[in-house]
Parts: sequence; C-alpha cells; structure tokens
Amino acid sequence: MKTIKSLMCVLFLSLSLVISAQEFAPVVQNVNNAKDVSELIQVRSQLERFIVAQPQQWLAEYYLAYVDVQLSFRVPDKDDKSKYLSEAETSLNNLTALKETDKSELFTLKGLRLYALIASDPQTNGPKYSGEIINDYSTALGLNPNNPRAVILSTLFNNDMAKFMHQTYEGFQKDVDKAAALFAGENKTALTPTWGKGWVDFALTKK
Amino acid sequence: MKEIFLLIVLLFAGMISSSAQLRTVEGKVLNEQSTTMTNANVFIKGTIDGSITDSLGYFRFTTTQQGELTLCVRLLGYAQLTVQVPETKLTGLVLKLKPDNVTLDNVVVTAGNFRLKGKGQFGKMSAVDIVTTAGSTGDLYHSLRTLPGVQMVGESGKLFIRGGDSNETQTYIDEMHVLSPYTTTGDNIPVRGRYSPFMFEGINFSTGAGSTEYAQGLSSVLALNTKDVSPITKIGMNASTVGVSGGGTQAFDKGSVSVSLDYQNMEPYYSVLPNRLHWINPYQLISGSSQIRFNPNPGSVIKTFIGYNRTTFIQQLTSPDNLSTRNFGMKDDNIYLNSTFQKTTESGYKIFAGAAFSLKNQNIDNAVIQTDTYHEKEWEIHLKTKVTKRFTDFLRLNAGLENFIRHDETGYMYSSTVHTDSINHSISALFATAIFNINSNLYAELSDRMEYTGINDEWNSNPRLALSYNLNGIHFSGIVGKYTQLPENKYLMLNKKLSDEQCTQYVGGVYYEKNDKVYRIETYYKTYRDLALQEPSVLNSDGYGHSKGVDVFFNDRDLIKNFEYMLAYSFNLSKRKYQEYTELSTPQYATTHNASLSVKYSIPALKSILGITNRFASGRPYHDPTKSGIMNSTTGYYNSVDMSLTYLASKKVIIYASASNLLGRQNVYNYTYSADATSPDGYRKTPVIDSSSHFFYIGIFITLSGKTAYDVSNF
Repeated sequence: MKTIKSLMCVLFLSLSLVISAQEFAPVVQNVNNAKDVSELIQVRSQLERFIVAQPQQWLAEYYLAYVDVQLSFRVPDKDDKSKYLSEAETSLNNLTALKETDKSELFTLKGLRLYALIASDPQTNGPKYSGEIINDYSTALGLNPNNPRAVILSTLFNNDMAKFMHQTYEGFQKDVDKAAALFAGENKTALTPTWGKGWVDFALTKK
Repeated sequence: MKEIFLLIVLLFAGMISSSAQLRTVEGKVLNEQSTTMTNANVFIKGTIDGSITDSLGYFRFTTTQQGELTLCVRLLGYAQLTVQVPETKLTGLVLKLKPDNVTLDNVVVTAGNFRLKGKGQFGKMSAVDIVTTAGSTGDLYHSLRTLPGVQMVGESGKLFIRGGDSNETQTYIDEMHVLSPYTTTGDNIPVRGRYSPFMFEGINFSTGAGSTEYAQGLSSVLALNTKDVSPITKIGMNASTVGVSGGGTQAFDKGSVSVSLDYQNMEPYYSVLPNRLHWINPYQLISGSSQIRFNPNPGSVIKTFIGYNRTTFIQQLTSPDNLSTRNFGMKDDNIYLNSTFQKTTESGYKIFAGAAFSLKNQNIDNAVIQTDTYHEKEWEIHLKTKVTKRFTDFLRLNAGLENFIRHDETGYMYSSTVHTDSINHSISALFATAIFNINSNLYAELSDRMEYTGINDEWNSNPRLALSYNLNGIHFSGIVGKYTQLPENKYLMLNKKLSDEQCTQYVGGVYYEKNDKVYRIETYYKTYRDLALQEPSVLNSDGYGHSKGVDVFFNDRDLIKNFEYMLAYSFNLSKRKYQEYTELSTPQYATTHNASLSVKYSIPALKSILGITNRFASGRPYHDPTKSGIMNSTTGYYNSVDMSLTYLASKKVIIYASASNLLGRQNVYNYTYSADATSPDGYRKTPVIDSSSHFFYIGIFITLSGKTAYDVSNF
C-alpha cells in the first residue's frame, strides 16, 4: 500500500508539472511576442495567476520580473517606471529565496533591471548603479560563461561605458558573435529563459 | 496496479468532464472612492482562468471550474483581494480594492521630515549625490546645509536647525544614538561628520516635530541607516589633499564584512596653502571602521559596526589681549560600537533590538592658559528594543523600550590646583505610536513617549499628533508635539537638579511631488521652556524662548536634460533667554534669512558632473559692549559660491575636486571684544572669520578589484 501511495504521489506530481508546462509554454511565447504596453500588461496578469497558483515555481516569478523591466522601458511616465522597477526588485528578491532558481539568469536580470534604472534617469542613477551592474553581469558569467543573455548584456554595457569614456571596447565584435552563436544553439522548447536575441540584433546595429 | 489504473482513468475523466461546461464570470473593479480601476487582474485562485479590467473597470472571462469560486484581484499599489463567489452569482460582481500596506506605509508625507531615502530606492540620496553637491566637501553635515531649516553657522559646521542650538539635534545610526557624531577641531574651525557618507544608504532628516521614538532631540533628528546587504566584493583606495584611505568589502552568501582605514594629515595642505592659524602640529586623524552584516534568512539582519578614531593637533593660540601665546594641544580618542538585530516574522511582526556604546576620551594641554591641562571622558550605553505590526488596513502599532546609561567626568589641572567633576545617570523611556489609515487619503499618527531622567528624578510625557491629508497628489500635513532633553552636561555638572528642557512644536506644510519635481513649503512655531539659565549668582531652569519661521524648498530634475536644481529658503525669528543670554534676545547662531541654490550639470562629453552652490545668510547678531543692551548689533551678510567637479578618468578611477568661496568674500560670523586701554572705546574688536578664504579638496578614488567599477565606497 505504501508503494502505491508513493507511486500515486509521483504520478500526481509529474502530472501537475506536465499541466503547468503545457499551460506555461504559451505564456512564455506571449512574453517574447508582446509588442506594446497593453500586451505586456496582459501577459503580466497571466504570470501573476501562475505565481498565485504555484508560488514555488521560479520561472513565472522570473518572467514577471522580466516583464516589469520591459514595461519600465515602454511606459512614458517616470513614476510608473519607478513602480514597475520596484515590483521587479520584489520579484528578484523572491527569486533569491527559491532553490530552483537559475542563479546565472537571476544575476543577468538583476543587471538588466539596474540598466533600466539608469535608462530612466542616467544623470542620477548612472554613477549610482554602474558598479553594481558590472558586478551582476560578471557574477552571472562566473556561474555560467555560456549564458547568452549575460554575454550580450555585459558586452553592450561595457561597450556603452567605453564609449562614454571615449574609448573603444576591443572585444565587442567577438562577444556579439559569441552571444549570437549561443542563442542559435539554445533549446527554444525547454522551460528555461530564452529571451534576449533582440539585444544581439540591437548590438549589430550599433557597432 | 489496478487501483492506479483506475485512478488515472478517473483523473482524466474528471479533466475531460470539467472542460465540458463553460461558465462566464463578469463584473467590475473599483477602489475605495468607487473610481473604476483599469488593468486590475481578476482570476480564479489556483488557476490561470481570468482577465484584466478594461478602461471602464469591467472584466469578463470564462472558466471550466465548478461550484463556489475563489476570486483573486491584483493591481499594483493595492492589497490583493480574495473573495468567495457562490455558483449562482458569477455575474454583475462589484469588487473593491484597498491600498496595500506598502502604499499605506510609504505615501505618507510627514511635516518636518526629509526622507531623503524616499520610496524604495528612487528618492534615495546616495553618497554620490552628497559629494557631487558643491559646498559639501564630501561631508554629510555640510551637504545638509543646502536644505531648508538649516542655518548657516560657518565657523561651527554643526547642524543648527530652525533657531535651535546644535546640541538640540541628535544623530542616530541604525536607530541607535551616536554620542559624538562630529570630528574634534580647534576653536572656530568647522567640524565634519565622523562617519563617511558612503557608509549610509538611508538618510532621514527631520527638521522639526520628528518621531518621538528618537530621544533627547529638542529640535531635530538625523537618522542614518547603513546597508543591510553589501553584495559586492571590492577593494578601493583614495588619496586626497587631506589624506589617504583604503578598504573594502568581502561578500559572502549570507552576509558581508567591510573594513576601512583612514589617515588624514593637514600638514602637506598647510605647507602649500598657509592659513591664518598657527600650527605647531597640524590636524591629524587616524581612523578605522568595520561593519559585519549577516542575513541568516530573508527576513532577518544582524549588523555590527565598530569605529575608532584618534585626533591630534597642536595649535598656537594668541590671548585676547595679544600679549601671550599658548600651544593648545588636543588628543581625542573616540570609539563607537553599534550592534542591531531586525527580524520580520511570518505573522508580520517587525522586531528590532539594538545596543550601542559611545566613548569620547579627550585630553587638552594648555586649554585655557599655558601649562594647564583639561581632561574629559564621556561614555554612553544605549539599549533599545521595539516591535511594529500592522494589524488591519486601518491600524499599525509601534512600541518600544529604551535605556541610556551615561557617564561624564572632567578634570582641570593648573599648577597645584586640581578640579574634577563627574556625573553618572540614566534615562529610561517607553514609547508607543498608533498609526491610523482612516482612508487612503487621510492618515493620523498618535504617539507618546514616557521618559524618566534619573539625575533630576523627573518624569515626562511627550505626546505627539500628526495628521496628513492627500488631495489629488497635494499633501497637507500638520503636527503638534512635545519634546524634552536634558541640559548640556557642563550645566548638569554644576547643578544636578536642573529640569529637563522642554519644547512644544507646531508644524504645518504643503507638499507636492511628481516626476522628479518636488515642491514643499512649511511653517512652524516652537516654544521653549525650562532651559538652563546662568543668572549672575545662580544656575537655574528658568530659561525660555520661541522660534518661528517658514521653509521653502524646490527641487527639479526634469527641467533640462542632465540638469538639476535645488532651491531652499528659510525665514526664522528666534529669541531666547537661556545659558549666558540673561535677557530675551536672538542667539548668536540664529539668522533671519537663509537661502541656498544648488545646481548640478552632467556633461557626458567631458565625463564630468559639475556642481555649483550659492549659499546666502543674513547677518548674525553679536554683542557689542560699547553699546547698551545685549546682542545689540548685526554682522554683514554671509555669501559663498562653491564649486565641485566629479570626473570619471577611467572606469576604475574617479577624480573629485571642490573649491569653496570662489568669490573670496570674507564672511564675518561674529566679533569678539577684549579690553584694550589704547583703544578710544576701551575695547579691541576681532572678527571671527574662516581660517582661509578658500578650501580646496582634490581626491582620487581608485577601484582595485576586478568585478566592480565607478565605486568610491569601501562599504
């Protein structure tokens, strides 16, 4: 009877995971395809429902933070930008406590959030957060040197900084190519973060 | 196996059957004022069935869920609403949202308070903001002088707020009292903050009617918070025109350790830029500090800070009659130890406990006349515990206990004369605050502080009522509160039965903040009584006084790209009969008009931030013995144009330069008179002025570790 009980448990667990994976995959698609604020708010609400249903699932919380950062780039009002970035911070803090969280992806997203903070007010936040961004991206790359998102975002930030310092960032092309290759090899069907290819395209336009 | 098979069949059958019947859920979402809410997320708890409300607040979705439903509504800034909806009533729903706790606790504007930390991290005044404010010379207290309510007392450097004396302002680090927050300097040389602004991430500056949680601050409180976490491992060093320092942080999984060492010596500076003072041994400061932060779990923080510094200098002083000189020799040791514990429990209790120890040990040779010695040893232990809990949307409570144990001893020796004095006493207090969120726009705070001071065996009740009302983003706030403080130790040593000094404050203000623009105007009236008064033959507590005025503040960071301005103006009328002022008169430190305009401009092409500050204060009252009455004259006005430049030389090197009083105006703070028979009126008049017309600071900050950059903080 005991074995049957445990078998049932395993069955239930795997079944519920399959359900959530099936339901979650289209939401991730929606995140990647969202083109404007209203679509982002729509997908944000779907993510919130997942989090309430399964608070221990890191991926929904992770994508919620990502969507909030995206919203902060898109909404025009400064107070609204602040609101979304503050929500993203809460989600990132929640993620830190979850065991399953991919720490390399977490630090990459932390860096992106700080980048969004700088974008919202370069004069004040530039000097305040540049050091922390560099630390976040290098921590992400230390945990997984082949994280394409960490590679491209860190490259872009270093390139921006070099430009600001009237210098050139020598490894730029090499790093962009590396990121592009890593994105190309990424398994798009797996339930792991897959966003970020757009930053490579953005980098190629910059050079 | 049979059973499992059956189970699977049943499960799938259940799923299939449940997907058969679709039901519609629809309704609208409102807030407390019945305004329709857009983009609210309405869904069935535990499922992904739901939708967001449209621009009219309506939602509509279908579900396969059967029976009674648990609906959830979520919207940023509002508390999550969970309601049970019976099967028969799924349409025509009206759901009302209430503001969430974060919103309830944060949007409140309290008169008199500059929460420079602000909401979250967006209004946070960082060390970078402080050092890039021209005129701050990298010092926290100097940078606060650009805010309204702070009076320009150039020769002191301490904070004089709204007509109050500097000892009426107390500094707290992580809720714990700091006995001597200022550096030790010579006569008429401005002090600086003992602690680097880079240590703090939160700066709460209350210019009046502050929380009764903070003790012994008759006028004002500066509450500083150190970082709870410092996630970056780093090493840095800097060299400047006044000294060198270095240190760093080692981050761990659940905490971090920071260390900083600092050495200042003014000799090289004075050898290049001499000043009016005569130094035998110029100012020297050796200091070391360390902080350990430990986060055992997400809701808990344990922090321990220890700082030690030693100041030495020998300054040659000339007697008032100009006939003799003496070598004023200072040795000052200072220790500050502070340990705090904070925890938020799962049931929502915020628990705080802290202990702090401050020690000042000072030895002065030739203090008043050649060959005398003065010694002072003062220490304080501060213990505090408090608990905060929000019970409902309507009520939050905060209560705590604290105790100060104080000791001060002085000794004066001249030839065979020895005079010693000492006091030992304690202060115990119980404080409680009830915060009422009457509705999302109206807020009230009622608090009391019951305090017992052992030295004079006195009990005091310090009640305080604060109200705040939000009218479409314009905040109105009013506070009335009573504050008490023991007289200064030098008076308590002479008369241990002096009463606690009392101040009643009335503050009202209007505030508006939107998209990087801040406008605020405040008015206040303060009455003082039971102040220590030195009458010709007796020291008593018969002193009294009042102070009233208006503070105006504008800050705009959105006017022109890369540009920010901050304008502060304060009008103050203050009169007192206390200490040596035996008639009701305006104290020497009080000025009627104070204004400062501070601008910052980022120049990306030059990788620089340029800051310019102009500070103005009307003349200071002084006492001219050749005229009748006391405090019968006024000095000329004060004006200083200061400039600072922050330059990013590379991502690991930051250069900071500042210069004070660019126009070279000689500001007179006071006049002293000494008897002089050769003068027609019998007096020699000496102005109290800065030791030099300008002060130049150039510092280079270098990041030595690989993982970070653009970072000047070792903590």
